[in-house]
Amino acid sequence: MQHGDKTVQNNSKYNVEVTKDLTIPKLFYEKATEYGKGRVVMREKEFGIWRPITWHDYLENVKYLALGLVRLGLEEGDKVAMIGDNRPEGLWAEMAALCARGVGVWLFQDSLIEEVKYIIDHSDTKFIFGEGQEEVDKAISIFNECPRLEKIVWDDPKGLRNYNEDYLISLREVQELGRELDRQQPQLFKEMIDKGHGDEVALLFYTSGTTSLPKGALLSHNNMLTMGQHLMAVDPCKPTDDYVSYLPFAWIGEQMMSISCGLQVGYTINFPEAPETAQDNIREIGPHVMFAPPRMYEQMTRTVQVKYLDSTWIKRKCYEYSTKIGYHVADLKFQKKTIPWYWAFLGWLASITVQNKVKDHLGLSRVRNAYTGGAAMGPDHFRFFHALGVNLKQIYGQTEVAGISVVHRSGDIKFDTVGHPIPETEIKITEEGEILTRSPSVFLGYYKNPEADKETLKDGWLYSGDKGFIDDDGHLVVFDRTKDVFTLRDGKPFSPQYLETRMKFSPYVRDSWVIGDQREYVTAVICIDYAVAGKWADEKKINYTSYQELSQIPEVYNLVEAQIRQANKDLPEAARVEKFINLYKEFDADDDELTRTRKLRRSFVEKRYQEIVDALYSDDDNVHIDTTVKYEDGRQAHINIDLHIRKVKE
Amino acid sequence: MSTTWLPCGTYHQNYVHDHAWWQTKFIKAKMILLLIILFVIIPLVADSYGLSILNLVGYTILGAIGVQLLIGFCGQITLGHAAFIAVGAYTSTLLILEFPWPKILMDWGLAYPISILIAAIVSGAWSVLFGLPCARVKGFYLILTTMAAQFITVDFIITGYVSQIGGRGQAFSLPPGTIKIGPWVIDSDLKVYFVMLVLVIVCVIGVLNLIRSRVGRAWIAIRDNDISAEVMGINVIKYKLLAFYVAGFIGGVAGAFWISNLAAISPEHFPWFWSLWLVGVILIGGVGSIHGTIFGSVFMVVVMEMLQLAVIPLADIYPKLLVDFLFIKEAVFGLAICVFMIFEPNGLAYRWWQMKNYFNLWPFSY
Repeated sequence: MQHGDKTVQNNSKYNVEVTKDLTIPKLFYEKATEYGKGRVVMREKEFGIWRPITWHDYLENVKYLALGLVRLGLEEGDKVAMIGDNRPEGLWAEMAALCARGVGVWLFQDSLIEEVKYIIDHSDTKFIFGEGQEEVDKAISIFNECPRLEKIVWDDPKGLRNYNEDYLISLREVQELGRELDRQQPQLFKEMIDKGHGDEVALLFYTSGTTSLPKGALLSHNNMLTMGQHLMAVDPCKPTDDYVSYLPFAWIGEQMMSISCGLQVGYTINFPEAPETAQDNIREIGPHVMFAPPRMYEQMTRTVQVKYLDSTWIKRKCYEYSTKIGYHVADLKFQKKTIPWYWAFLGWLASITVQNKVKDHLGLSRVRNAYTGGAAMGPDHFRFFHALGVNLKQIYGQTEVAGISVVHRSGDIKFDTVGHPIPETEIKITEEGEILTRSPSVFLGYYKNPEADKETLKDGWLYSGDKGFIDDDGHLVVFDRTKDVFTLRDGKPFSPQYLETRMKFSPYVRDSWVIGDQREYVTAVICIDYAVAGKWADEKKINYTSYQELSQIPEVYNLVEAQIRQANKDLPEAARVEKFINLYKEFDADDDELTRTRKLRRSFVEKRYQEIVDALYSDDDNVHIDTTVKYEDGRQAHINIDLHIRKVKE
Repeated sequence: MSTTWLPCGTYHQNYVHDHAWWQTKFIKAKMILLLIILFVIIPLVADSYGLSILNLVGYTILGAIGVQLLIGFCGQITLGHAAFIAVGAYTSTLLILEFPWPKILMDWGLAYPISILIAAIVSGAWSVLFGLPCARVKGFYLILTTMAAQFITVDFIITGYVSQIGGRGQAFSLPPGTIKIGPWVIDSDLKVYFVMLVLVIVCVIGVLNLIRSRVGRAWIAIRDNDISAEVMGINVIKYKLLAFYVAGFIGGVAGAFWISNLAAISPEHFPWFWSLWLVGVILIGGVGSIHGTIFGSVFMVVVMEMLQLAVIPLADIYPKLLVDFLFIKEAVFGLAICVFMIFEPNGLAYRWWQMKNYFNLWPFSY
């Protein structure tokens, strides 16, 4: 089944003409000199106010930082790594590295030392920008094992007073060096920028491997810029828009919004005060555009569901009626039917009485386009946001195409698809059902991994490893990762991700893992949400002392079972979950159970929880677990617990 | 003051905006509407009786702000506030009647406005004098020293000596036309109403700003724990006396304002019961809230007025009610305080806050 060119061309004009010669620093320099002191490029919340940073400040900071790096010995193609929370300094460091013709590498701020070491070593990083003491400690501990690493730069002095290592240097000192160099060679900065070419490597991006060690994808300036250009052609943003940057920069989606789109449109990027305050800070800003992985939307849904349950009777009733209306109107829109005037009126009534308020609480009041991508989102969550009147769209893409290749168009949204390709992007499905992509944004190849290159890049086509098909309306449907697709007992293929996302619609379920490939029936392992289920138990006066204990309480099992039965309803017989178990801990990226972007590493968990899997496919009612777990602070705990296996009643 | 609830998308890039009074268009519209109601609609529709009630509300607010400041924000319990109102009223009256004003000031109608200011300053100074014991005593003892202020000032000095000035006997009459602001002679309820509005707005804004300044924070620190306030480096005595001064100052404004509504003043206008009444007003309105002061004033005046309206028809059946009205009033006052202490100890301001929250959090409860 060979599908032809399904590209939908958009007629809206591009913001910026992306030629092969254009680089990110060139665009940055052009915009910064154009806007100067008159426009705010970023804000950071500090001491209670949103401190503005103008394009002029941005340019000055980047300029001296870049020159400082050159002074310290940065040469063309040298890698500069960044680690830390989202903050202006992080973006300055990245931009400075690019301006000085280096290559940016981002690390997740919660990476463990081994992960940091692997990436720093593998990428041959020369300079590392850490935020404060925590990041500096990580970098120091691996310094001797990474021979190419020369300097560690920090910007938050808290706790660093007694650090005397000579390879430590503060961001300000680097900028001071840059200032000196600027006095000697005032033209150097501009010359460096002018030397760049669009096909040069801009970023080295480590993909969060669900199966193996991270692979470093090389992205060129041109990749990044064309991707941003094409997304902005589909959904144009305005220069006056606000965007909140709170997801890790090491995730391609955040790079795409902050760098690719941010530079082209010139909207304001807002940085929250701290990761813990991000949700409140988003509400204060009220962004016009947002892009987040499904777990963020799942969290919002959970918040609403829990708050609804705790509400008073009148408020609950109002919420229920307006949600019903919202779902009906959203479904009519999904089916592309005209909405009768009385439903339109009811919809308007629901939005002014309840939905606008809910959106206000979530910080979605001003959102024009909300995107979700990076993992599968359940249809229930998707409908939930459309019922609220949020224009939520699926994005399909990967690091290897600099972010995205397929997106929903406004007014043409189906909750089981990911939409049409963006301009100049072609999508093809192979005989085996694998999704292939070809566009100017397809990456240059993996760093130091020619075998992976051969597998992934063939004749300019990117082999994604995802299974999918194109439906009658030309929408791409992503089924699942090829290697994850199940074969059920009746021989039909099935996507475990789909089932898992449906279970997560219950506020009590935080994570789920569905098992059933080539087995007699389907089973699930559930991680309950400690906060929500704990609160529920408190109100029911059920005693518990820990996550383990709470997870094994029969009443909690009932809650989970109710959700599973709900999900089972719409499924074919063979795909229904027949047994499930509540796990004694949550899945955690530090235990390698999830990737840093919180995707389940199926083969790993299958090995790790072999006992549980075996028990689920035996006649036992219980499974005994005797193991040790390691906490984040290094403590170890012995776990000795009986996990209960529950059969789902029809 | 609780932090205001702001809709999504309201953020501030500097502290000036962060501390602005009216942060959103909605609040601006609401406040402008309120001003239109106060300055245009009420004067158009209210009759003389309605206006006289509103003037009484305004007078109560001006008196109670000072009490609120002392009790609600600085923790200094006072039961002698009527004394400072009296000082203000007498200072202003004496200045108008006895002071040889230069002709030009009289012609421009500045005598009364200037006398308000001087009355406020004198009253403030007088308040500081009786606030001095607060350096040494607090709690119950302070109640007694402030009560002493009441008896010394009103019953001894004003009745015994000040009232004798000019040999008029007990009361000073204020002949029509003596109270003049600029070209306007304050001779009707409507004109008094406007004077009241301006003074109340100026005083409320002044106090609200004071409370969120360094001074206000020092007061609140003293109220919450005077020892830790002192440890933090606050000069406790200085700030306590400052609180007495500001309270007395506004009391002086209240007194000087009230003479514009009277034909004559006598010490009976400032009984000790009025001091107690003002404390009742802030208890019902909500201690530690300027909103509460306003709500409490409106509530008390309106309830008493309704009581009066209820008693008049009943008096036909049971004539003794009319004779005993003063006692009924006091009984209802006591009852109201009891009811509030039991059912809403945080006062009307808290209820108002809850009501706003109900809708702000809609459709959730938190």
